[in-house]
Amino acid sequence: MKAEANGQFTPSGIPIKDFYGPEDANGSNRPVEVPGTFPFTRGRRAQAMPVGGWIQRELSGEGDAARSNRQFHYLLDKGQTGLDVIGDTPTQALMDPDHPLAANAIGTQGVSLCHKQDYLELFRDIPLDRITVSLSLPALLCMPGYYLAAKAYGFPSDKLRGSTVLTPFYSEDVSYAIHLPFKARVRMAADVMEFCAKEMPRFHAFVEDTYYFSESGLDPVEEMALGFLEIRHLVREVLKRGVDIDAFAPRIAILVNCGMDFFGEIAKIRATRRLFARMIRDEFGAKDPRSWSVVITSHTSGLTMTAQQLTNNIVRGTAQTLALVMAGAHAIEISAFDEALRTPTEEAHLVGLRTQQVIELETGVARVVDPLGGSYYVEALTDEMERRIRAMVQEIEARGEPSELHDSGWFRAFFEDKMRRYHARLESKEQIVIGVNAYQLPPEEDTLLREVSETKIRPYRERIDEVKKFKADRDLARTKAALVMVRDRTKLGENLAPSVIAATEASATMGEIAGTIRQAYGFPYDPHGAMQPLI
Amino acid sequence: MAKGRVAIAMLGLDQHELGAIAVARLLRDAGMEVVYAGRFQTPQTVVQTAIDEDVDVIGISCHSWEFVDYTPELMALIAAKGVDVPVVLGGSVLTASDAQQLKQQGVAAVFGSGSTSDGIVSTIAELVSARQRRIHVA
Repeated sequence: MKAEANGQFTPSGIPIKDFYGPEDANGSNRPVEVPGTFPFTRGRRAQAMPVGGWIQRELSGEGDAARSNRQFHYLLDKGQTGLDVIGDTPTQALMDPDHPLAANAIGTQGVSLCHKQDYLELFRDIPLDRITVSLSLPALLCMPGYYLAAKAYGFPSDKLRGSTVLTPFYSEDVSYAIHLPFKARVRMAADVMEFCAKEMPRFHAFVEDTYYFSESGLDPVEEMALGFLEIRHLVREVLKRGVDIDAFAPRIAILVNCGMDFFGEIAKIRATRRLFARMIRDEFGAKDPRSWSVVITSHTSGLTMTAQQLTNNIVRGTAQTLALVMAGAHAIEISAFDEALRTPTEEAHLVGLRTQQVIELETGVARVVDPLGGSYYVEALTDEMERRIRAMVQEIEARGEPSELHDSGWFRAFFEDKMRRYHARLESKEQIVIGVNAYQLPPEEDTLLREVSETKIRPYRERIDEVKKFKADRDLARTKAALVMVRDRTKLGENLAPSVIAATEASATMGEIAGTIRQAYGFPYDPHGAMQPLI
Repeated sequence: MAKGRVAIAMLGLDQHELGAIAVARLLRDAGMEVVYAGRFQTPQTVVQTAIDEDVDVIGISCHSWEFVDYTPELMALIAAKGVDVPVVLGGSVLTASDAQQLKQQGVAAVFGSGSTSDGIVSTIAELVSARQRRIHVA
């Protein structure tokens, strides 16, 4: 008996049958794939993960650097094996805390960072040769602070094992606007990749972050298609500079989203590994097997976390993490139970971390590599996902240069459309979310975890005076000379990483460096017209 | 009577704009005129837009806690300038207790998570007609 389509679909619109058999998974024609070998569908390695085999971390950073450093130590003390740092809104938007528009947002949604002293505080007593640091921060402007802090604390840069996200394509539309043209954002990303390939060989200088933009309601196929579009463009940019593909490809990672469609998310990750391997070997000519097998990390979907019935979010995080572990993710961050309302509280951090530890040490799901490999359904879904992602990448690339798609608003319209679709599916109940459009509770009964989740962080306005004092106390001539260098290098088209590091060392702040780069591109120093350039 | 004019804005560095755009479209689809002020607004720029564009409702989209400090400032400025325009806030970050506090500060309506499209449109439509009646009488 053969099953027919049963009228159900995955979120990507893939039709589902009642059951699957060998014929769905390409039958006997399918070569048996072995993990750790091309095309790495089943995983990067053939060995099962040792204890603590995936990096367990939770998104952190709040208030100033010292407060965030205490948060880091708390998490490491509780067994966290890596750090993930997010900046507050001004930091993500490349603005110093003394910018008038920043006042009500300092340190509330992440850590406030803008000068070298902040990074020394942030990484105080953190063993940077052992603990990986994921910098969910603007790469070119924040990697220098990390680099300098590591140097100051005696960790050689070739021992640093962290990563940074590069988001030149979509951040202006769905994340934090930095008011720099598309070509400048691409160039800054390529600068980081080129610099780190030489200076920080163990550091993942290019994490393709498909998490944040897919949170606008993209389905898994759309998420990965847009991700591959950006990866392909940046790889071409770095190759144009004469850097060998095998010098940087092994340090590319993909930070994917993970929603609630269990098998769909697993198939997405397996298809992504296979697509990456084929692309980087066959299209870009990589010869080193380490270039072929991409590292997949994940942040579980914040969009699936509800403000209603907050305890349900713990269940969601558990299911998502289970999917990620079974798909072979290398680092996992769980969107916490209070995600819909704030960046995580200490309580939410602990639950997220404990969820990972329970899955690792009690369920045994990580005992073997790719436990779902060979499942007719998962293999069929992986094949279909691969086919659809590739087709969508081709379709978008055929539309024109990414810079044109960006400047004409095509990407923006795409995200708006998907957000509308997401809400329409919720309102029509095509997508069921418990507590939101099914099994709701009246507010007076919906009290579990409510008080802790609704606690707000006050803006850290004391940072304003602190940063003003930092600016007043420095050797201004030295700072200005370093900014002149940044401006000249920007105009000359040289790699900006060394001069941004030098400027950070010379006490230039992030806002000043960003403004200088903007000016060199003929853009206003401060898009809001409130700050004056030093040079 | 016209279906009304609504200003949509975000305050400070609150940047997750898709919600604001979605609501703007929703109101437009319902026949209202939307004056889309967008991101990086302050209480001063919002009130000036409301006056210049003679809007019936000010809609603030919130995806951060900046509303906590900006809303009292906005309401005080509206009172000081004698502007007769109701203010509504919307965004999934707004909790029931936020809604209570905001209403005490004079905010006309709060749309937190779980708000429906129909609910948002009908509440704003009522605020529009109430204001137009007031102005007509005056």
